[in-house]
Amino acid sequence: MTHDLAQLVRDAAAGTGARQVRAAGRLMSMIEDDPTRLPALVVAARPYLASSPLPLGEGREGGCKEPPRLPRIVLGITGAPGSGKSTLTDALLGEYRRRFPQRKIGVVAVDPSSPFTGGAVLGDRVRMMRHTTDPMIFVRSMASRGHLGGLALGVRGVIQILALIGCDLVILETVGVGQSEVEVAGIADLTAIIFAPGQGDSIQLLKAGLMEIGDLFVINKADRPGAAELHRQLLSVLKLGVIEEHCGAHHGIGLPQAASRGLPDSVGETAASPELGLMRSRPMPDVQLVSAAEHTGIASLLDLLEKKTDDHHEDWAQRRDESMFRDIRDSILEAARQRLERTLGRNGTAHGQVARVLAGDLSIEELADDLLRRTAGAPHANAGLAPGRTSNSSSKTEVM
Amino acid sequence: MDTHPRRPRILIAKPGLDGHDRGAKYVAHILRDAGFEVIYTGIRRSPEQIVEAAIQEDVAAIGLSLLSGAHNVLFKKVIDLLKSKDAADILVFGGGTIPPDDVPFLKSIGVAAVFTPGTPAKTIVSTLDSLFAQPA
Repeated sequence: MTHDLAQLVRDAAAGTGARQVRAAGRLMSMIEDDPTRLPALVVAARPYLASSPLPLGEGREGGCKEPPRLPRIVLGITGAPGSGKSTLTDALLGEYRRRFPQRKIGVVAVDPSSPFTGGAVLGDRVRMMRHTTDPMIFVRSMASRGHLGGLALGVRGVIQILALIGCDLVILETVGVGQSEVEVAGIADLTAIIFAPGQGDSIQLLKAGLMEIGDLFVINKADRPGAAELHRQLLSVLKLGVIEEHCGAHHGIGLPQAASRGLPDSVGETAASPELGLMRSRPMPDVQLVSAAEHTGIASLLDLLEKKTDDHHEDWAQRRDESMFRDIRDSILEAARQRLERTLGRNGTAHGQVARVLAGDLSIEELADDLLRRTAGAPHANAGLAPGRTSNSSSKTEVM
Repeated sequence: MDTHPRRPRILIAKPGLDGHDRGAKYVAHILRDAGFEVIYTGIRRSPEQIVEAAIQEDVAAIGLSLLSGAHNVLFKKVIDLLKSKDAADILVFGGGTIPPDDVPFLKSIGVAAVFTPGTPAKTIVSTLDSLFAQPA
């Protein structure tokens, strides 16, 4: 199997059968192992995405004239361990395939790495194995690994590769707790937060983090006791948020019934404003009650997702460009930080300077200036950073 | 920042009809603790599912656990499928209740290592490490 990025991109885009799947899998490993190659991947993939015919015989009726650069929707599915994310993903896969037999679906399932050993057990696939031999479904498991910003770039790369093989829908499944997880949730066009009854009281709903990244809330395991109670609590917490942030002015307030039925009405319509990153710009999110295991509520959840996709996919495309830009910028800053850090490390040229700062001989600002000067002319270790310079520039970590 | 040396990804799978997954989960656990990324796929999988998942996940190795006695057939099926999909570079190792007399046959068809019950965790990790250290 080749390790040439351009060749693999060609095989993933134009190859068929096992050759295409292998190329896609291998490309994903390359990006996962060295996320700084994302720009090279994007550049190599561009001609195929721009010129390839629409992968759909049906669906996508009359809608878009331009071939999409990425899937129509990247759906984030996030929630605590055990809330049923993978089972819900499995149910959505089944429903989507039944409804749109011509459309390809990609799944990216992120599970945490051990901060102690770096190891991971990635178990999301277990729930989706019945789809494994379906050529229209590609599932990739990813460990969160430890690197700051690296996961976000890696996930973007994997989504780009899923686009190359023609995926129309991508489901991005994450635990959604912790900084890198929240970063990853930012990649999705729409993030669904999954809850299940019996996982803590309403205080959990007030905690920071999870609730703030949701565009859509799904209560899973509706067949279990406590689901109705959780539904009520969730609605009241969400309404509180809306009241605070809109000072009661938003027309969605006072319409909890509409929201509780998950109607794709005007209440949720502005959910894809470009400032979606900010909680305060949000209207009342939709809340759906489902049972993935018993397959109830799945069809109406998909109806809602389709409606939102039809309404917003053009805004999303633009927002993806902006957030990609942000992630690239963050990784440039991270690369710069690592270089600076090396000069302060045990073998670094400025290692001794920290003691001088402590002794009062040098200010923090002066040392920072000094570090920037020291690193300015130094050749960098990781040449893979240079966009457009592909295969041979980053020779590391291609051991497989 | 990532401080751990990257170790290969391994898919752990149970082909065939027996539902005894304790051994497979134990191996997944020790490999995780040894710093591997383990993709666990659950019980009663077909060789086709296992091979397709391994290719999508681009793993370096597949670990097959089997207690039903059908190892000679199912391990071979997995290896043949890998070959047919131009993926013979993915290592295959196995474990479970495998009689010692069957080990030479399994090795002859390309199973890289066989870990029978009682194999110490350290042996599994060090064997895999040395297998991955060899050029494919």
